[in-house]
Amino acid sequence: MTSVLPPQKESTSGTYTFSSRPRALPNRSKYRDPVAELQEEPTQYGNIMYDRRVIRGNTYAQHILPVSAQPDPIEIQRQQEVRRRAAAKKRAKDQLRPRTPEPVEGRKHIDVQTELYLEELSDRIVETDVECQTDAFLDKPPTPLFVPAKTGRDAVTQIEEGELFDFDIEVKPVLEVFIGKTIEQALLEVMEEEELANLRGQQRAFEELRNAELAEVQRLEEQERRHREEKERRMREQREVLRLEKETAEKIAARVFAKHYLADLIPSIYSNLRDNGYFYDPVERDIETNFLNWLVKDVENTLDDHVLGRKVLDMLIREVVEKRLDVFQQMEQQHNASA
Amino acid sequence: MAHTRISNKMPPHIEPARAPIAFGRRAIPKLNEELASEDLVTRQCALASLCDLVHDPERAYETIETGCLENLKRLLRDKDSVVRRKTTEVLYELSVHNVGRDAFLQNEVILSLAELLDEPVDICRVNMHKTLEMLSEFTPGAAGIVDAGLVPQLVLKLPSELVEIQEIILDTLHFCLRVNVSQALASGAISILKEKLLHNSVAIRSKAAQALMGICVPLEGKNEVCKQNIIPILVRLLKDRHPEVAAKAAGSLMIATITTQGKYAALKAMAIPPLLQLVSSPVTEVSLNAIKAITTLAEAPEGRQELLNHVAVLESKQDHSSEIIRRAAGTAVRVITWKP
Repeated sequence: MTSVLPPQKESTSGTYTFSSRPRALPNRSKYRDPVAELQEEPTQYGNIMYDRRVIRGNTYAQHILPVSAQPDPIEIQRQQEVRRRAAAKKRAKDQLRPRTPEPVEGRKHIDVQTELYLEELSDRIVETDVECQTDAFLDKPPTPLFVPAKTGRDAVTQIEEGELFDFDIEVKPVLEVFIGKTIEQALLEVMEEEELANLRGQQRAFEELRNAELAEVQRLEEQERRHREEKERRMREQREVLRLEKETAEKIAARVFAKHYLADLIPSIYSNLRDNGYFYDPVERDIETNFLNWLVKDVENTLDDHVLGRKVLDMLIREVVEKRLDVFQQMEQQHNASA
Repeated sequence: MAHTRISNKMPPHIEPARAPIAFGRRAIPKLNEELASEDLVTRQCALASLCDLVHDPERAYETIETGCLENLKRLLRDKDSVVRRKTTEVLYELSVHNVGRDAFLQNEVILSLAELLDEPVDICRVNMHKTLEMLSEFTPGAAGIVDAGLVPQLVLKLPSELVEIQEIILDTLHFCLRVNVSQALASGAISILKEKLLHNSVAIRSKAAQALMGICVPLEGKNEVCKQNIIPILVRLLKDRHPEVAAKAAGSLMIATITTQGKYAALKAMAIPPLLQLVSSPVTEVSLNAIKAITTLAEAPEGRQELLNHVAVLESKQDHSSEIIRRAAGTAVRVITWKP
């Protein structure tokens, strides 16, 4: 028998819907008719075992909701099939259920009570009305404190010392782990530091060596440089000295040579000049220039005159000879003509 | 709905300050994702766990392979100081491993680290400088730092920082100077180092002398050093009680006196007696550097004259157990007794 739900619950969860609404059972006859059974539709109530919303199967895997709110058409088909199959199975099962065989011809089955005490069967159930009402003028006495009756049996238990477990023995492994880990960590850190210290020591030693070598290298470089510079300087000086010496020697030689060279320069100059006629006798020069010019001119004139005379003579002779020739030729011709 | 969790209650969170580390291969990728989360507490816890894990070289390699460096670079600029501090610690642990250093150079982490130079929180700066120092210890790293132009900035930071950070900066500079000296010289490192030579702390004095040694290696460095009259200070440091300081001072002297100018400056500052004392010191570095300094001073005629009286001391060193000292002593004796 289900009771009516209190109204508060419905108001707080407004969106709550029942799959199978609780309801009061109707009055029905004690013994059901087998025919009326089949008319009941299964969808009036929901069986939790066949409710789709209840998760079944493994709880350790997650149930993924389908993406769309609409169920897949395939899903719908499958579910319809399942439903149909279930109905068919139920029907089959009903039919297989052994029933009382049909009555023989001419007879009819009738229900008979076989219990020890017979009961009167009737459709109407015996009811009695009972009423109760408190006295209007009497105050309700205070309800006594409700002490529920003692039910069950009293039992007592007590854990004595040392009964559950021995702390010292149990704590040992835990302690060992703790201490072990702590010491291990500490050891690791100490080793790390030691390693670092060793590395630093090595680094220091290396650095010393390096610095010393560096200083040595630089010192040697410097020394080398200084020596080289010194050498260069000295060599340069030497070269200077040599050069100066050579110059002086050359100068001396040049001087001597020049002196020697210029020694007979003056007489040779004089002789050269005289040879080129820079020292001349003026009378001679005068005679040479003026007198001889005039003489030569005169001679030329005279000779020209002579030549002219001769030319004239030649011309004369020529003319004569030509005339004679002409005459002779004429005579010849005359001779020839006359002969 | 079915779920993969077994019970409704989460397993007990043992250490609230650390994110729970997933098993095996999933550990580092999960922490990487948590690093990129918006929630501050998640990031801090993830960083704390990562810090513990990265000590192991395999985990360090994994961290780099899964590309945590991008997230870490971003977290360096985070507003919360705890996040920055933990990030710098993680980067320091990574830089201890070789793969880490290589990855730093490839992903240009140096520039991101350089942004933290002006960080207000001290511990972040300390870690950042320690990371830079670790990075500079190997040559490509030092070259990377020099290329990023960090050397002048470090030099400028030197006077104003805490003592321990100064030590770390001096170490970093020492390694960077092996690669390139001109940048440091240009930013006036020598005058700053001069002050540091007279600091109270032993470590700072010795590291400053070491850095000076690095600066003196090229010629310009040597000339600068002579010009700024550092040699008398170095000679004074030779008499220091602590052997490291004396060793490094002798080292600087041995390199600075290679030039003629340096030699005469040292001779003027009466460097020879303390150097002779240092030769007989039991510490290898001290006596080695002292012998070398004496060798350079013996190149000058005045030095040679004075040292001819003390040749015996050097000859006694020729039977020393260490080979380099024997060689150095032999060279020294040869140079002193050389006739042109």
